[in-house]
Amino acid sequence: MADEMKMRATLQGDVADVKVLMTHVMETGLRKDSKTEKFIPAHFIDHVVATLNGKTVLDAQWGIAVAKNPFINFKIKGAKPGDKIALNASDNLGTQYSGETTVAAK
Amino acid sequence: MNKFRRAFLKTAGAAGALLATAGVGLLKSGEVFAATWNKLAFSSNNMNDAMKNANYGGAVESKDIVLKAPDIAENGAVVPVEVTSNIPGTTSIALFVEKNQYPMVADFELPSGTEPYISTRIKMSQTSNVRVAVRAGGKNYTQVKEVKVTIGGCGG
Amino acid sequence: MTAGKPYLVWPVVLFGALSVLSACATRPEAEKTRMAPLELEKPASAAPWVRYKGWPSEMWNEYSTLAVAVPSTLSDPIKFDGPITGDPKNGEKLAFDRSRGGGCVACHVMGNPIPPLPGNTGPDLSEYASWGRSDEFTFNYIYDHRKIKPDSMMQPWGAHKLYSANEIKDMVAFLKTQKSPAKFKDNLENPNTRPVPVETRDNFDPFLNEAMAAVEKGKGLFSKEGAGKKSCASCHTDPGSAFKAWAASMPKHEPRLNKVIGVEEFVTRHARATTGEEYLMQSGGNLALSIYLRFLANGQPINVNTASAEHKQAIKRGTALLNRKIGQLDMSCADCHTAERGANKWIRGQWLGEFRGQIDHFPTWRTSRSEIWDITKRLQWCNVSVRANELWPGAPEYGDIELTISALNNGMKLSVPGIRH
Repeated sequence: MADEMKMRATLQGDVADVKVLMTHVMETGLRKDSKTEKFIPAHFIDHVVATLNGKTVLDAQWGIAVAKNPFINFKIKGAKPGDKIALNASDNLGTQYSGETTVAAK
Repeated sequence: MNKFRRAFLKTAGAAGALLATAGVGLLKSGEVFAATWNKLAFSSNNMNDAMKNANYGGAVESKDIVLKAPDIAENGAVVPVEVTSNIPGTTSIALFVEKNQYPMVADFELPSGTEPYISTRIKMSQTSNVRVAVRAGGKNYTQVKEVKVTIGGCGG
Repeated sequence: MTAGKPYLVWPVVLFGALSVLSACATRPEAEKTRMAPLELEKPASAAPWVRYKGWPSEMWNEYSTLAVAVPSTLSDPIKFDGPITGDPKNGEKLAFDRSRGGGCVACHVMGNPIPPLPGNTGPDLSEYASWGRSDEFTFNYIYDHRKIKPDSMMQPWGAHKLYSANEIKDMVAFLKTQKSPAKFKDNLENPNTRPVPVETRDNFDPFLNEAMAAVEKGKGLFSKEGAGKKSCASCHTDPGSAFKAWAASMPKHEPRLNKVIGVEEFVTRHARATTGEEYLMQSGGNLALSIYLRFLANGQPINVNTASAEHKQAIKRGTALLNRKIGQLDMSCADCHTAERGANKWIRGQWLGEFRGQIDHFPTWRTSRSEIWDITKRLQWCNVSVRANELWPGAPEYGDIELTISALNNGMKLSVPGIRH
């Protein structure tokens, strides 16, 4: 899944600064194909869950207005080098995406 | 409830409605409601309804929410938005774009241990207020900023 | 065949890539400074050229392009007896309409209320009614300004069929309603007080600039073996030092092709002649290698040759092309990108930069499109934006323009991949 999700977690004090870049079209369903004049069906990530060593640290619901190739940045307290941060996402068509990174010391 | 269960429920879709119902039976109802994609809020087509349906009704303006977004966005497809809540006990942060056809953008639940902060990039169909809603200690707060979406010179 | 011989077309065709690349490891040190092997026969881009998917499909065959100057017939001014009557409401609608070339508000402040984010490359027309111009003058200036003020940036809206004579009469009627100074909602709406955009993003942050992934991809392709079991790295064993400044010296005149080529076309032709890999211009692989090779030269001042006879000629041609009015909108590159004309002003909500500052970051990530664009694609887009047919990516005109703009940017440091709207 390396191509679909890029993750990095860097430690600032005991706070892990987590950045995630996902590859996804985030199609709104409101756009028309310029050739066929038909609406392009909606296709977007609607759930995102992040965990730190298995414990949920972020639980998000998304709609169609999160930008293409979604980016999120969040911060987790009490992290230490070597901690595992995992991210699981799923889209409205049921496709699952996952990524994992290890907290790096600054 | 883990996300796989949730994905199962969701992707069961119309044809799999019975399966989904069977799945529900295994869980406490409260967990199901908390975890199901909030279709009502995401498909609300005005700001007030979207906020109310996302359980952010009656939010009070608060200067303790810092909403960073550009004054003028270079395009509406990728507008960077960063939110920091300085309200103690913040448990969730949600984003709305007033003039989008469906104003609700995202809702982030942040368990204790996660800083009351989120940064992401959103879509805006036109110049609009961007509104953030925060739940803290069971109460709702909000902050707003207008973001102008640049109009190109060469026409459409 | 050795690297020292003149690169005629036939040996490349006859012996193909393998004989060329087998030479690289063994050729004498002195010969390495001579001409790099290039495939010279085939087009370097998709042929026949077809415009990119998702771009406007309209063709503007009757108007000038960068390759062909079509003589434009100037309209004789039309005479009117007395005032022109028209529908000011419709005139206002047309003035604000972005679908036929951007509308008047792209360049002029006007309207009551003024539409969002007007431009200021042309004069503020909010008090035009008091300028004392006759209706006949106004009509003809909009219809075809070229007989009245040939050096204007204005478009010949009537003569180039963007608006009918009756529609222009409605615009004249609308302009006669413009009687009071512009009122703006805030200083962002006023193009004279709107802050100039400053690029502060870290273009090397891979979470911000998705084109950073192309650096890694390009690095990978550099070591990818072609059919002959050779990769770029087989000959260029230390790319970091070998290409420390090379990209900053491109584009260059290539005598074997008799035109100026940039990094992108060089990659296509050199790979064909060495590893045998096919990296057509505008392909993902070509963009990745081009970004990688420029990335290796980041921080180096742009340093294109402006002294050689070939380059002097190319810059002369390029300068003429930058000043050629093209397309249905009848605009030159210089109209928007020189300080004497439109640069450092707003075209609607978009800031127009000067030529200096326009090249150090290409290929660049375009956030509005989620795509990597090289300089050629950017030039093609400018062409289509002024409603002129674009040329194919390997067109010699683009080489001349790239060299000319690069010469204007000499001394600026490369910072690739960039990030822009």
